[in-house]
Amino acid sequence: MSTESIEASGVVTSANVTSDVSVVTTTHTDQRTGGPAMGQRILDIRNFSVDYGWGEGAVRAVNNVDLHLNRSTVLGIAGESGSGKSTLVYGFTRLLRAPGVIAGGEALFNLQSEDGTDIIVDLVTASEKELRKVRWSNISVVLQSALSALNPVLRVGTQFEQVLKTHRRDMSKADRRARTVELLALVGLNEDRLRRYPHELSGGQRQRVMIALALALDPQLVIMDEPTTALDVVTQREIISKLFELRSRFGFAMIFITHDLSLLVELADEIVVMYAGEIVERASAQALYDTPRHPYTLGLLNSFPPMHGVRTELTGIPGSPPDLAQLPTGCNFNPRCPYAMERCLKESPSLADLGEDGRSVACWLHSGDAGVVVPVELRRTGKGKREPAPMPVKRDVS
Amino acid sequence: MSEVTDVSEVIAGTVQLQARHLTRHFTTRIPGRGFNGKHVVRAVDDVSLDLVAGEVVAVVGESGSGKSVLARMLARIVRPTSGDLILRGSTIPRKAKRSLAYASQVQLVLQDPFASMNPVHKMRHNLVRPLVIHGAKREDVQALAEAALTRVSLEPPSRFLDRYPHELSGGQLQRVSIARALCIEPRVLLADEPISMLDVSVRLGVLNLLRGLCDNDDLAILYITHDIASARYIADEVIVMYAGQVVEHSRGTILVDEPTHPYTQLLIASVPNPDDPTSVGPPTAEQAQIVIAEKGCRFNPRCPFVMDRCRVEEPPEFIVGENHTSRCWLHADKPQFEVEVALPRRRGEGEITKT
Repeated sequence: MSTESIEASGVVTSANVTSDVSVVTTTHTDQRTGGPAMGQRILDIRNFSVDYGWGEGAVRAVNNVDLHLNRSTVLGIAGESGSGKSTLVYGFTRLLRAPGVIAGGEALFNLQSEDGTDIIVDLVTASEKELRKVRWSNISVVLQSALSALNPVLRVGTQFEQVLKTHRRDMSKADRRARTVELLALVGLNEDRLRRYPHELSGGQRQRVMIALALALDPQLVIMDEPTTALDVVTQREIISKLFELRSRFGFAMIFITHDLSLLVELADEIVVMYAGEIVERASAQALYDTPRHPYTLGLLNSFPPMHGVRTELTGIPGSPPDLAQLPTGCNFNPRCPYAMERCLKESPSLADLGEDGRSVACWLHSGDAGVVVPVELRRTGKGKREPAPMPVKRDVS
Repeated sequence: MSEVTDVSEVIAGTVQLQARHLTRHFTTRIPGRGFNGKHVVRAVDDVSLDLVAGEVVAVVGESGSGKSVLARMLARIVRPTSGDLILRGSTIPRKAKRSLAYASQVQLVLQDPFASMNPVHKMRHNLVRPLVIHGAKREDVQALAEAALTRVSLEPPSRFLDRYPHELSGGQLQRVSIARALCIEPRVLLADEPISMLDVSVRLGVLNLLRGLCDNDDLAILYITHDIASARYIADEVIVMYAGQVVEHSRGTILVDEPTHPYTQLLIASVPNPDDPTSVGPPTAEQAQIVIAEKGCRFNPRCPFVMDRCRVEEPPEFIVGENHTSRCWLHADKPQFEVEVALPRRRGEGEITKT
């Protein structure tokens, strides 16, 4: 991968990015220096787009995404494969490999210094040198497949040693060793694991090593890319509870990517749901679960067979995940949406504020247009149990 | 060799494939001890089950519980150390090679559809090969392949036959692999984690497809999963495995609603439950480590209710309710019934009776 290509094309294409209709909930304008302090905000992503490929054949994997994250909060990103959730994260952390190209936007990261002053770095335009300072010490990533993320020919202990040696030059060998043991203890692993190779550990243990590595330099933001997808439920539960224990202890912010919405509801503060590279709904976790507003979110929530109550037949979401190279005109979800109207086939909705605790949704049903009747399952209010129900049968609108 | 070749009508409720005391042990070497340090892994230990036409049997357990080895033994890819397979009434000789006749009756669908399709061939090739191998006439294969795709709701079939595996989504590909298994009209379908690699939104589609095949075509299905919620969704019978043993077994899904074995309780407590996140505590660190006891109950190092007896004696299967057994000493004091093979009885075979 060449970093020049990303930077070069980033510069070239950023000019032609048409930032058409994107509702930015943040108000401040100037980013680089001065301007209103980001304060509690740790990350502010604006109009962020990522392409795969160049020129004619380029596929837009992330389209004009706005996202922000406050200190010590957990943001969940949900969506199916190909929805752009991982691409978004690899994009703004600049870990994207060719043919992935950042097509525009900015990702402001607040490197708060120890005395509390804001130092804001735009990760999209930052130089390799600047990135090196931010990566791992401030932002660390836990990848889905721990087996391919860990070096298979090095002992676990050596991998910790290398991280600490590279980033903490002043640490002595004894200090590094002590820190490694401390980190392993944090995730509930015994010291004797240090002599092991990754293949000698179980899936859960490997994932815990990954988490310990991610926390090695006390980062402010930890990104978890499907950390538990390859694990079974019991191990998943245990990793998650460990993670949250660590978070309440160290107070790092977290971006948690998964396709398992039911898991996110339990652990995130705020959830964004992505579909075909765009955010279709953003809400607080409980609100999203109790009162979903986007038909796709409702479909996702109804895709989990319940553990209690009567067995009823559920339908999931009809159709298959979108092909990014052949997106439909209008709303990307319209071929699978049971509520699709004429307008959905022509115009693409943008993320609009619903005026309910800062939640927003990209759906024409909630545009407030006269004559649009919002289906009852998408306009529920209040809390209480939402019975899982089959999605209505798709109507033919054309 | 008298393996089944009859093509009589399948009647719902008739037993298609039975496993009796299936056991598979793997011998591994202990590193650093040369040839002397042998260690036996009891991957599957004395598992008996019946696959019945028109019913789904779900096997639930975490990784390492032996559920995939069980499926492979049923498909006769892995040879059992001991125990018998009975296909439609005739016992399969243990030493015999897997025959074509057996494969035509029992088909296996694997977890990763991308890995189980030949990537350099079109769907047509992938579907036609089993048909040709199992003796379909050349002139019929096109129609049969199309019918198989229609059966798994991939319509129109002509759109899919000339596609390569990478051109289809995971859900579509998994449907093709189910179609491929079904095109030779087997009686038994073994599905080893068929949905765990798929997107959440298409999982239900595949589960509904399996359920439909079972209800409409009287297929006998073994559904292997680690997701107990999906087992509850489609199964007629649920088996929970731990360390190669059946620890809990119930007709219907009573096992999920009223779990009696501490391991089943742990599995259920681990499922995310957004409705009531506080209802269950997360398992403690010891509970989550897979430790298999050499002596006594295999679950005892992780069990929150462990008693002295559990560390010494291995529990038998106790009957805890109608068609519901549990391998746990906690249920030793319940009134017991005599059972030869601790299995729920079939429809028409009469229920378990008191002696």
